[in-house]
Amino acid sequence: MLSLRVAILATVLNALIGVPLAWALARRRFPGRALLDLLVTMPLILPPTVTGYYLIVLFGRRGWLGGPLYQMTGWSIAFTWYAAVVAATIMALPLLVRTAKAAFESVDRDLERAAFTLGRSELRTAVEVTLPLARNGILAGLVLAFARALGEFGATLMLAGNIPGKTATVPLAIYTAVQTGEDAAALLLVVVLSALSCVVIVAANRLGARAT
Amino acid sequence: MSDRLEVALSLQVPGFDLDVSWSAGGGVAVLFGPSGAGKTLTLQCLAGLITPNAGRIVVDGRVLFDSASGVNVPAQARRVGYVFQGYALFPHLTVTENVGFGLRDLPRARRAERAAAVIERLGLAGLEHRYPRELSGGQRQRVALGRALAIDPALLLLDEPLSALDAPLRRALRDELRALLTDLGTAAVLVTHDFTEAYRLGDRIVVYDAGRVVQSAPRSELLWQPASESVARIMGIRNVLRGTVVKATPDRIQFRWRGQLLEAVNSPSRSYLPAADSPIAFFIRPEYVRLIRKDRGPADPSHHMNLMDGVVVGEEDFGTTWSLRIRLTAAGEPAQGDHDLEVEVPHLVYEILEIDRDRRWQFSIHRGSIHVLPA
Repeated sequence: MLSLRVAILATVLNALIGVPLAWALARRRFPGRALLDLLVTMPLILPPTVTGYYLIVLFGRRGWLGGPLYQMTGWSIAFTWYAAVVAATIMALPLLVRTAKAAFESVDRDLERAAFTLGRSELRTAVEVTLPLARNGILAGLVLAFARALGEFGATLMLAGNIPGKTATVPLAIYTAVQTGEDAAALLLVVVLSALSCVVIVAANRLGARAT
Repeated sequence: MSDRLEVALSLQVPGFDLDVSWSAGGGVAVLFGPSGAGKTLTLQCLAGLITPNAGRIVVDGRVLFDSASGVNVPAQARRVGYVFQGYALFPHLTVTENVGFGLRDLPRARRAERAAAVIERLGLAGLEHRYPRELSGGQRQRVALGRALAIDPALLLLDEPLSALDAPLRRALRDELRALLTDLGTAAVLVTHDFTEAYRLGDRIVVYDAGRVVQSAPRSELLWQPASESVARIMGIRNVLRGTVVKATPDRIQFRWRGQLLEAVNSPSRSYLPAADSPIAFFIRPEYVRLIRKDRGPADPSHHMNLMDGVVVGEEDFGTTWSLRIRLTAAGEPAQGDHDLEVEVPHLVYEILEIDRDRRWQFSIHRGSIHVLPA
């Protein structure tokens, strides 16, 4: 299943990038912090096509990052399934970062201060105290990010295209099915995706409730 | 005796300005004052959690911070045990793991041994595998104390260690904590806004108000000789009043208050000699006012000092004592709203004198019980 593979990979990337990012935004004061917060949050508010456009500017064959890569290797991420992963990751990131940041912020600062006085460095305190206590909030954020990645449409269409069997994830396949009049196939996919979303929301709520 | 603890701090944060300097010998120094006076901020500076703009912190000769020479030992290396307000126990760790948290550098066996010794010492045996949420308030306090003591701290900091507890437990643990701190001999700084707690737990009391130290004194000195009217008010002393000086000598001060001529003992050591007609602040402890019994003949002014007449205008039952609000039978506005003096009498006295139906009384105050507050 292409969609699942894309969503899982995007979720893993979210965990690797988003969790440290959320911690830094919650706990560290550094120059450019407000700007970083803004950049991460943007995809939540922008139309996905706009985010997709930015991604093309970055990763396309003539993009800021994609351009030099294409020159050197003759390979571009655009219109491959990796592009679907990149699009899904960026689109899901704000959901994870905002949830995880709130979870980190809800950890009592005195617990971290206590760890400092007991000899722990800032990083070790984050790993041994803050992270375990923010765990449920982070997991809830990851569940939301997974759901977002699974349902990603606009930015994926822009960067990865809609190539059946290659970059056509379930939401794109639904679009194609409706366009070509395959109503039964569309309905099936819609039901599957709706059911999955319900499961995800229930899971996220349960984790969130346990976090408090 | 040389000072074990020297503290000088200057710290400006938005909306608050801390500028304090005090020192303490052995035992427990209590930082006492209203909320928002800068007490917790001082503890955080001592622990190295906040860096002051300027100042110097020395514990037993070891310089932890000195802005002049650029010394600033990080919190991790200060060996300062900190008992946080609300305890800040790690909720995801057991009692043993909490107590042993600061011992990571020791080999596993030594760590377990040390944690076990502290747990035993604080009477927490049998609770080793419990999580903080499974403990009572008193047990949590002891785990917090154990976690701070496990690292064998050079200095112990306690922020309102009793405030999270219920009243009956509070009193019991206050005395238990006092015994433990005396026993340990570690220099300790304790923060409280409750004067009884400050008095019971402290050897020295440092009074904070609005980011400044207004008095630093051994506890008994503070109790009987607050440095000023504002210190007396912060301490919550009742019957803090103002009169006008008639005559001051090194032994006695005479002054006028509410149309009465009162006489107080002056402290020769303080050589406080205000000029005649200048304002003077003083306080009278409610439990040191004597009601004159009516069944023993008229009061004798040569025997009963500072004799006055008054009416009980209100009363409150404090369980073991009654607090009476007395208004003098003198012209003019009462000194404290509807009354001039608050007087405290034990229940037994209240019943014998039948104060509930007999409201007019003569009372006297020994001159040694009127405490003059230097301006």
